[in-house]
Amino acid sequence: MLSVLSYGRIVARAVLGGLSQTDGRDYSLVTASCGFGKDFRKGILKKGMCYGDDACFIARHRSADVLGVADGVGGWRDYGVDPSQFSATLMRTCERLVKEGRFTPTSPVGILTSAYYELLQNKVPLLGSSTACIVVLDRRSHRIHTCNLGDSGFLVVRGGEVVHRSDEQQHYFNTPFQLSIAPPGAEGVVLSDSPDVADRSSFDVQLGDIILTATDGLFDNMPDYMILQELKKLKNTNYDSIQQTARSIAEQAHELAYDPNYMSPFAQFACDNGLNVRGGKPDDITVLLSIVAEYTD
Amino acid sequence: MFPMLTLLSMFYYICLRRRCRSGSRAESLGGRRALIDLGQRSTLPVTVEVEQYAKEVLDFSSHYGSENSMSYTMWNLAGVPNVYPSTGDFTQTAVFRTYGHWWDQCVSAPAPFHRTPPSFHSRDFLELAFEEQVYPTAVEVLETYHPGAIIQILACSLNPFTQNPPADVRWEVLWSGEPTKALSPQARQFSPTIRPISFPTNLLRLEVNGSMLDYYTELDAVVLRGVRERPILALYKMPMIDISDLSDGEEDLSETGGPLCCRTATADHKHNHGNGYFDKLPYELIQLIVSHLAVPDLCRLGQCCKLLQQHCSDPLQYVQLSLQPYWSRLSDAALTHLQPRCTLLQRLNMSWTGNRGAVTAAGFCSFIRACGMSLVCLQLSCCHFLNEMCLEVVCVTCPRLQELDLSSCDRLQPHAFTHITKLTHIRRLILYRTKIEQTAMLSILTFCAELRHLNLGSCVMIEDYDAVVSLVAARCRGLVSLDLWRCRNLSERGLAELVSGCAGLEELDLGWCSSLHSSSGCFQLLGRRLHRLRKLFLTANRTVCDSDLEQLATNCPALEHLDILGTRMVSPAALRRLLQACPRLRLLDVSFCSQIDARTVQELGSLFPNVSIKKSFTQ
Repeated sequence: MLSVLSYGRIVARAVLGGLSQTDGRDYSLVTASCGFGKDFRKGILKKGMCYGDDACFIARHRSADVLGVADGVGGWRDYGVDPSQFSATLMRTCERLVKEGRFTPTSPVGILTSAYYELLQNKVPLLGSSTACIVVLDRRSHRIHTCNLGDSGFLVVRGGEVVHRSDEQQHYFNTPFQLSIAPPGAEGVVLSDSPDVADRSSFDVQLGDIILTATDGLFDNMPDYMILQELKKLKNTNYDSIQQTARSIAEQAHELAYDPNYMSPFAQFACDNGLNVRGGKPDDITVLLSIVAEYTD
Repeated sequence: MFPMLTLLSMFYYICLRRRCRSGSRAESLGGRRALIDLGQRSTLPVTVEVEQYAKEVLDFSSHYGSENSMSYTMWNLAGVPNVYPSTGDFTQTAVFRTYGHWWDQCVSAPAPFHRTPPSFHSRDFLELAFEEQVYPTAVEVLETYHPGAIIQILACSLNPFTQNPPADVRWEVLWSGEPTKALSPQARQFSPTIRPISFPTNLLRLEVNGSMLDYYTELDAVVLRGVRERPILALYKMPMIDISDLSDGEEDLSETGGPLCCRTATADHKHNHGNGYFDKLPYELIQLIVSHLAVPDLCRLGQCCKLLQQHCSDPLQYVQLSLQPYWSRLSDAALTHLQPRCTLLQRLNMSWTGNRGAVTAAGFCSFIRACGMSLVCLQLSCCHFLNEMCLEVVCVTCPRLQELDLSSCDRLQPHAFTHITKLTHIRRLILYRTKIEQTAMLSILTFCAELRHLNLGSCVMIEDYDAVVSLVAARCRGLVSLDLWRCRNLSERGLAELVSGCAGLEELDLGWCSSLHSSSGCFQLLGRRLHRLRKLFLTANRTVCDSDLEQLATNCPALEHLDILGTRMVSPAALRRLLQACPRLRLLDVSFCSQIDARTVQELGSLFPNVSIKKSFTQ
């Protein structure tokens, strides 16, 4: 004869077990991208996911969703090297590594290291440098692992507030940490940071968290409160609304970049360092906007 | 009331759980409907053609890329195509290590084996596993650069993912052809007509020969089309007897009664009636006639009569034995039966044989112990049955061994290589893609001073190549060829010692050795010291410059093969001077050299028509 309590326990367990089905579920990132290149080079047809010298990628794997941005350092143009080639190849290589499963979700630095190694295995002699920021969502553990090398970065927004953000890595003003492949003989002169020095972080996420990954073209032109204002307009988790919001953020940043009187975060930082500068910062802008949602095949 | 409540809640619990697990309701309804349909149409067979891309690359003999990379490596063949239908030299494809006839012309090329059947010309192979076993109806190979190298497609009865592998493993040829060269390097889908086979398969093997090609062939993906049920038509077809089948001995694929397992004659026999005209021929003449037969035919001939049995088991017929063309049929039993005939064995080629349990380490060891005393050359490329005991037996039983090929034996434990120190007369040692470690290599070099040809390509477990190379320079002064392909931490210090110590070097492969910098003067020193240099590969060394080519032009008149892929620092003028100074140059690879454009290549090609100038492209 079972007692009332044990009956009650069985009933309660059944009911609660039936209702809360979300604990064992996998998470995923619904991501949209948008961006603008600095110059309006209409003639040059780039493969998708490249905006000027910036590049980005979004990749899905069974165990994780991965996305990344890379900002090609424009100074190479003066030496006859196309700066977009390095960043685009780096991002495409990261994408391929993820799709083929040659990565561990807990180590985005591993993805960056492998991708950099693969760049050196290419018969084509690549030259150039770029920053890199990679964000990995581990589906099962509901954790996000990130690595950031340079001045691109990400924001995590929950309930209208920024709960995580990346740190910028700069050697000196306007010279971020960067992965590079230098021409022979110039190795001592050209800045080349190893993937090991990338900033790493890991944190838990909840359903509905918003992750904004972008190059410095966004963060240098739009302060946090403006970004948060735009994100408030995000109503639901479907792809079209995310795409719309990403586009409006990128467009606004693009407008502000060319406003000569606006006190952008970049101008503010310059003034703090003694340079009397005003206005936006024309730069390539890449925005990847993601929301944590449930995993559907 | 309580039992009812319990029942209700358990029912609710179970239903909810099942709901969230089984996907959408529509899907489950659809599934049931399909079952009903099949039941109604049970009279008609449903032959659904299944199309699969390769799931995994299981084995291969060589590749261009690095061991832990996804650029130009064989693992790119798995999965969906990345490049097709584009044409070009892309990183996402599978590329073999060699092409053309260039490597055959090198001094380091091994002598061919007597009695190789003319129908066997495979140089490389790869094995692919697919998800599901099907009766194949078509195999499509997506070749994206310089197609034409595939010469044979085979299917295996074994499921490589099974936990309990069966005892008998059969390989059937789906298609076989000659090495060709497509008219242009354009990408193509190669889909030859394949033979129907009697068993379902998910393991395919492609054999490749790129000797007619102008450049490296590149493969993107392989598609296997087949049906799950055995095609009904096959049951009604008369079995076609192909003359070529008979000569290949397809029906002799069984493991017990193969042509290589010849029955021994009974001891007591009927009174000998004489051999007719055969008695008039001298013994040596019959031996000479019989020496032209390939090994399986030799074994079959020996089953005719006692006289021919005596001729065919004469150990003089088995001084050179190449079992590589018969890799699918070689087993322990075959080795045991060959044993009494191979007592004078000097050159043995067992490359590619014995995998998937056909030959065991013990079987191999007993064969070597019985027949290896006079062995001079032993080729064991891709022999995955080898273990440390096998190498120990080889090195103890064959002290006079001069040539040992262990390329792509990547499952051999590092400790096994230490036994090679006993082979003090070794002259040709090929360790391409093995896991040999530094200490073993150094001790081999200490004791084996007679080395003439050494191949350490893609030996990733050696940490300090400078130490290895400096010992080579100190001990192996007579070295003729050295392959250091992808030896990534070799520096100018090691190279300087090498060129001082081994001044007789004729071939040096330093491809993808990224730690060598021309600014240190190492290549100029190389040019000045190695007067006999015939082959030099500086592939993907981005620092090669005009002054290096000047030194080569001035000091290396015998140069025949040169690869300077990927450097930005070489000008057309320096190339022209090199071509003028080296009249014997036949191969020049200037792919991805930024200053050398297609027009320059064309001009130089017309000025120097004997030189094959290679300029690869990605788009």
